[in-house]
Amino acid sequence: MSDFLIETRQLTKNYGDQTVVDSVNLHVKKGRIYGLLGRNGAGKTTIMKMILGLTPITSGEVKVFGRNIKGREKKVYPRIGAIIETPGFYPNLTGSENLEIFAKLRGTAAPNAVKRAMDVVGLPYKDKKLFGKYSMGMKQRLGIANAILHDPELLILDEPTNGLDPIGIAEVRNFILDLSKQEGKTILISSHILSEIALLADDIGIIDHGVLLEESSMRELEKKNSRYILLQVSDIPKASLILERQFHTQDYSVSDNHTLRIYDTSLNMAAVNKALMMEDVAVISSQLCNDTLEDYFKKITGGEGIA
Amino acid sequence: MQKLLWAEHQKIRRSKIVWITVFAVVLLAVMIFAGGLDVYHGPVVGDGLKYVRDNLRYIDNAGWYMDEVQPWSVMFVFPAVTALFGSYMICREEDEDTIKSLRLIPINEVKLTVAKMIVTFELSVMLYLLLFMITFLTEAVLHFSDLSVKLVLVTLKEYVLEGIGIFFAVSPVIALASRMKKYWLALVLAEIYSIAGLFVSMTSTLKYFYPINVVFNFSGYYKESAVGIWGSMGILLLCGALSVLILKLPGKTTDSRNTDLQQNTGLLH
Repeated sequence: MSDFLIETRQLTKNYGDQTVVDSVNLHVKKGRIYGLLGRNGAGKTTIMKMILGLTPITSGEVKVFGRNIKGREKKVYPRIGAIIETPGFYPNLTGSENLEIFAKLRGTAAPNAVKRAMDVVGLPYKDKKLFGKYSMGMKQRLGIANAILHDPELLILDEPTNGLDPIGIAEVRNFILDLSKQEGKTILISSHILSEIALLADDIGIIDHGVLLEESSMRELEKKNSRYILLQVSDIPKASLILERQFHTQDYSVSDNHTLRIYDTSLNMAAVNKALMMEDVAVISSQLCNDTLEDYFKKITGGEGIA
Repeated sequence: MQKLLWAEHQKIRRSKIVWITVFAVVLLAVMIFAGGLDVYHGPVVGDGLKYVRDNLRYIDNAGWYMDEVQPWSVMFVFPAVTALFGSYMICREEDEDTIKSLRLIPINEVKLTVAKMIVTFELSVMLYLLLFMITFLTEAVLHFSDLSVKLVLVTLKEYVLEGIGIFFAVSPVIALASRMKKYWLALVLAEIYSIAGLFVSMTSTLKYFYPINVVFNFSGYYKESAVGIWGSMGILLLCGALSVLILKLPGKTTDSRNTDLQQNTGLLH
């Protein structure tokens, strides 16, 4: 069996003439958090629905636990916990009552499964508050509690921090990390919030307009993000000449009339500054920069950034 | 199936729709009671068990109240509330977006619908038992000594069979409204369907075939021959079969419905 708990090959979904997911090859490794990053409407939810067999696949294939998913695979569901879009529950029941229904229907054997799941997400067990009166954040938490109720090996979480306040987001992030690091769960999480994915994911897939543009580990991605020296000077032509003649580098770019980006970070900046000043080039600022994930996202999607 | 039935019973806890049906039954009982406060003037009318006598308020005649409630319940109240409840039970899974979580368990959707129909059947019978309890207790308070055991048991049998009959008679309406994903539609359709029974009852032949009218034959409210009762039973079973057929007809999947919705609202990118 391969190392991947989820593997898609040329996964495609068309709605009429529109292609919403286009030949996606996704690889989710066991025990890791895979962040699927993309703007709203990029196709993240559709991919998750296809992985879960909730929506038919137009072409391509999905393998979950090494098993080819064709429609609703009853054997794999007990090993998966999922939230897709907004979690739906019965508004006339309390959170515990709702989870008890799902636990019983699933045949969850653990006697304290509901209590344990509610404790994990920080919701009071046997509280009298009805689901209909829950805030958005509480609803999301209950959705996550339902997803982990039966102690699944794989969690598929579609925008689980939607509607949460900053403290709630941090709490959800922490228990997702705990589930992965301490309990060894494999997690596929989607988000349009770049900072969330950056903080959570071990591996990342960037999707835009249904196309998976990039798939790599966060570590590789961080390496790929270019480091450079941002230099602001009074005279760009003179500064360029100095860099090329005295420091023998052409690994730089001119951003505007006063800004240079030097990609050769091995240069001794003190020496560069001194040489520039000796030639009467005023150095306004000089700093070592790293392209952020957002810059990278912009670069590969060829568009605007993401939240 | 046992788990699904348990779950369906849990889902109706604190449900307003249950209270709406109970309220409808109580309101019906109160209205008929109010109507029974009028005094009857005319010759004695009766069938051996129940009589309406001259110069007495209707309500003071033993068995009148238990009897009078039945046509009103069958023609105006029970089909609508039973259909409303049944289709609500089915539609709510989509409305409240719980169907996704249920599919991921996964549950058998045919069995889920069957469980919901069973709960609706139970409700129909329970509501009739509630109505019986109200009318019987009222009669017992007013004139306990005039009530015979036979009268009470025969009426109880009629109520229970009407509960069963109404469920089968409206089951196609439940199925239709559920497929259209609009449970309030069931209320409207069932009301039209049951009130039409009033006009059908004036015909000589159709009244033996129209499911709402057939309920009276099936329950024994109208004195029918054994053949008539079996025929009624057959028609009600046909209604049940029709509802199964409607529910099993291939239709749009949730997926294609969602696509339509997304395309209509411009959510597809």
